[in-house]
Amino acid sequence: MRKILVATALTVAAALAAPASATGKMTCNAGPQSGWKSMDALKGDLTKQGWTLTNAKVDGGCYEVYGTDPEGRRVEAYFHPVTFEKLLVSRRGEILFRKQ
Amino acid sequence: MRRPSPGKNILWAVLSVPALVTAVRIATQPDLRLDELLHPTGEWAARLMILALMLTPLATIFPRSRAVQWLVRHRRSFGVGAFCYALAHLVVYAIDMGTVTLMLAEFGALGIWTAWVALLLMVPLAITSNERAVRALGRGWKRLQRLAYPAALFTLIHWMFIHNGLVAGLANFAPLILLQLIRIFLVVRRRSGEQNLREKYQ
Repeated sequence: MRKILVATALTVAAALAAPASATGKMTCNAGPQSGWKSMDALKGDLTKQGWTLTNAKVDGGCYEVYGTDPEGRRVEAYFHPVTFEKLLVSRRGEILFRKQ
Repeated sequence: MRRPSPGKNILWAVLSVPALVTAVRIATQPDLRLDELLHPTGEWAARLMILALMLTPLATIFPRSRAVQWLVRHRRSFGVGAFCYALAHLVVYAIDMGTVTLMLAEFGALGIWTAWVALLLMVPLAITSNERAVRALGRGWKRLQRLAYPAALFTLIHWMFIHNGLVAGLANFAPLILLQLIRIFLVVRRRSGEQNLREKYQ
């Protein structure tokens, strides 16, 4: 019994320690970062379109932003770092838009 | 009136550590975003709830362990701690969202309404977490406390669906799920053992 418990505890610890870098929600194969447009440029574009951003980062090789979209919804969204094409918009895990 | 035991004070000091760490972060990191406080508050609420629910199976598996007995005696503190962190989680969420309209707009998401249900289920548990309620409710108190199980289930669903937390949510709940399975196995084996004995001597 003790062995099972210890083994489980170790497995759980290993799972928790696993790198949480990419979430896997979206991947962009956009080549090396040197060819990307800047994140600030994306932020500027989105703000002009009516977004209010609270945070932006890189996830899965895409730009991922958090904030309120022009429709007033609190969302997270993925954009292609070269074309700035909108790829995915979700709200609390609920997919609102996915590029076909 | 009973004086609180030193053990209880030490336990409460330990339970406050995540809150203190958060307070220090707020004080020292001026660029800290509100949504960065969402995850830790929710995580500690869930973890304390998981701990509280792990104690019954632990007591079944290790009936003579004094450490487990001590934890079982202080189980209510874990539950109240879980509720306090859950409330903090709600407050951070509400401030971060800013308006009730925005909160209502996303209420239908599986990752959101499950959290509301979990918190609502915890309210009667928190209200009855004092000695007077324990005495007044008698055997009903124990039955009422079982609301913690559905609350934990809704918490797990909330965690898994809110933000791609499939792995993190399950990993945190894994010890509880495993212990409950062992407990059920032990109880079933004990019952069938008793039945065999009865059949033998009847």
